[in-house]
Amino acid sequence: MVDLATPEKVDAVIVGGGAAGCLIAAKLSQRGKHVVILEQGPAWEPEDLVSSQIWNRRLKWAGSVVQVAGKHPIGHNYNTGWGMGGAALHHFGNWPRLHEADFHVKSEHGKGLDWPISYADLRPWYDRVQREVGLAGDAKREVWRPPGEPYPMPPLQSFRQGEVLAKGFAAIGLRTAPMPAAINSVAYKGRPACLYDGWCEAGCPIGALVNPQATYLAQARQAGTDIRPHSTVTRVLSDASGGRATGVEYYDAEQARHMQPAGLVILASNAVQNPRILLNSATDKHPDGLANSSGLVGRYFMAHFGAAVKALFDEDLENYRGTSGNQFMCQDGYGKARSNGPFGSYTWQIGAAVKPNDITGIATARGDLFGTALHDFFKRAARGLTGLNAMGEQLPDPDNRVVLSDLKDAHGFPVARVVHSADDNLLRLAQHCQDEGKAVMKAAGATEIWTPPNLGWIHVMGGTVMGRTAQDSVCDSFGRTHDVANLVLAGTGLNPTEGGVHPTFTLHALAMRASDHMLAHWGSYTA
Amino acid sequence: MPNRPRTTSRPPVGRRVVLKGAAIGALVFTIDGAELALTPREARARALPLRVLGEDEAASLEALGDVLLPGAKTAGIVAYVDHQLAGDPGDALLIARSMGVAPPFADFYRAGLKALDAASRARHDAGFAALPEAAQSELVRLISHQSPDGWAGPPAPLFYAVTRNDAIDVVYGTVEGFERLGVPYMPHIAPERPW
Repeated sequence: MVDLATPEKVDAVIVGGGAAGCLIAAKLSQRGKHVVILEQGPAWEPEDLVSSQIWNRRLKWAGSVVQVAGKHPIGHNYNTGWGMGGAALHHFGNWPRLHEADFHVKSEHGKGLDWPISYADLRPWYDRVQREVGLAGDAKREVWRPPGEPYPMPPLQSFRQGEVLAKGFAAIGLRTAPMPAAINSVAYKGRPACLYDGWCEAGCPIGALVNPQATYLAQARQAGTDIRPHSTVTRVLSDASGGRATGVEYYDAEQARHMQPAGLVILASNAVQNPRILLNSATDKHPDGLANSSGLVGRYFMAHFGAAVKALFDEDLENYRGTSGNQFMCQDGYGKARSNGPFGSYTWQIGAAVKPNDITGIATARGDLFGTALHDFFKRAARGLTGLNAMGEQLPDPDNRVVLSDLKDAHGFPVARVVHSADDNLLRLAQHCQDEGKAVMKAAGATEIWTPPNLGWIHVMGGTVMGRTAQDSVCDSFGRTHDVANLVLAGTGLNPTEGGVHPTFTLHALAMRASDHMLAHWGSYTA
Repeated sequence: MPNRPRTTSRPPVGRRVVLKGAAIGALVFTIDGAELALTPREARARALPLRVLGEDEAASLEALGDVLLPGAKTAGIVAYVDHQLAGDPGDALLIARSMGVAPPFADFYRAGLKALDAASRARHDAGFAALPEAAQSELVRLISHQSPDGWAGPPAPLFYAVTRNDAIDVVYGTVEGFERLGVPYMPHIAPERPW
């Protein structure tokens, strides 16, 4: 190992080149700040985004091992990203907003946590993000949508699969609307419209999908952000008083160790690695980990449950057309409290394009089949398979957490261990969803209906939650840690609750709001 | 090639060759010092030497692949898996990566295949590849939902799920596989400019 000279001090160092890191880098760099992004994985180029459910696996996590434990271990690697763009590089572009009630779960229901802000506080940034990157949807048909500007683009096209399923929802009295999508339905700001070939998960080389490569990473590059791929950050360094971060330690591709000094340190890796880095940054002043006077770093880790219902139809559903995301949504089940029923919100995801192989493909729809029976199933499923997936809310539980393992990485730092279990309420909510989904499939005319044996776990959130005080949270609503004034956290780890919606739109809104606050109060962040 | 502890995701071969191969569902093999894009099926047909798996391991994986999805053997399941095991885990295309298997992935395959063979010998006094078809199917059905008594490899249902998906990848995950199903492949057009 070689210690290289300490590089020049920069205004801000950002750890992680995903959606949040790229957005903040772009905004700070555009205002003249000297910003460095340190990203463990590769840089990726558009030609790396090969249309294949085999090749897209290169975009999934390949960093240090993440151990999973608990009664319901999460599928970590599938849900996280690798390289510039992070998980957003292979995300599906479903972009609903959180609802007002998601911000006040504890005060309104005596469960979970409250956010320190309300929907109204975040709304201006939801609106601004959708103007900047472009969203496709139909705000009028989306009757559950909280107040906000209408979408700047009409909804995406629908195809036979989505239309058949939407009729099933209508037949049992449930409403549907086009899924709000971070995918161009028409050309928008120099990026072309979607081709509906269903390869979003492999990245979108034409730039129709909002991923950082096409949006804020491109802007950050143009504004002069210093982007360093293959750079693995091991810890945040702090001064002798413990009151200020001085920079970060990282290893480059040749395993040489560096220290990057910075006036402001922004951790934007993900909901697992952010707490891991904080816990690995312990000093005598911060014996339990940096920014962890609350003892909450790593706690309140969450995932969404995915309650799937699968079905075969005796007709050509055109199920191969569309996007990896969804044609329609239903939020009639979003209200949290049910009389004598389970608590929590969920969104039906309706009409995702079907590919033969990989996690979301025909391959896993009937994991019990093999041999000639599997060939027979593929033939029927190629045009006739469909699925509904209810994405539902898990309440924050302090016992679901990221901790340090006994296992160490190549640099001698403990890897993350994610402990995750679902409570009885969640399991009952998932069952409620699957019962409803089976009724939809039956009403839609399916010939065979079944539910997979296990729930899916989607997205990683929490672990460094925001709040009002250093006693009940790790950071404030801008991500600034209560303990260290020039240390900011970004990403889905900040969310005290997750609602029943996909997190990427909210991540962008929070990151943009935080960027504005940093720039407006730069002296207080870096003094 | 030894696995590095951290991926750099630097292509071990020229980017142009990799991408040319990717477009047709091929992998890049080095033959007599020259890089050549071949599908796993073509690599098997040319009997290219394996780099990681031993002869017995390859025989077991081919046999298992054909039980899981007939045709996986000739579609090149062994060539595909062996090729991936020889590279950097960060560049791996194996579904093992998404399913939470810790690198080096070769350890997972070797332990699973060894356990499968041991389970076969314990029941039939013969390795898995030598079993009659019905006995192979019976054992695969068992490992699909539980680890048999004495199983010393990774959890048997996980090993089943990973290798089953490998078989599906080589049979149906390619352009040729889509065509067999009558599903248009519809790859993205090449971008005219990088945004």
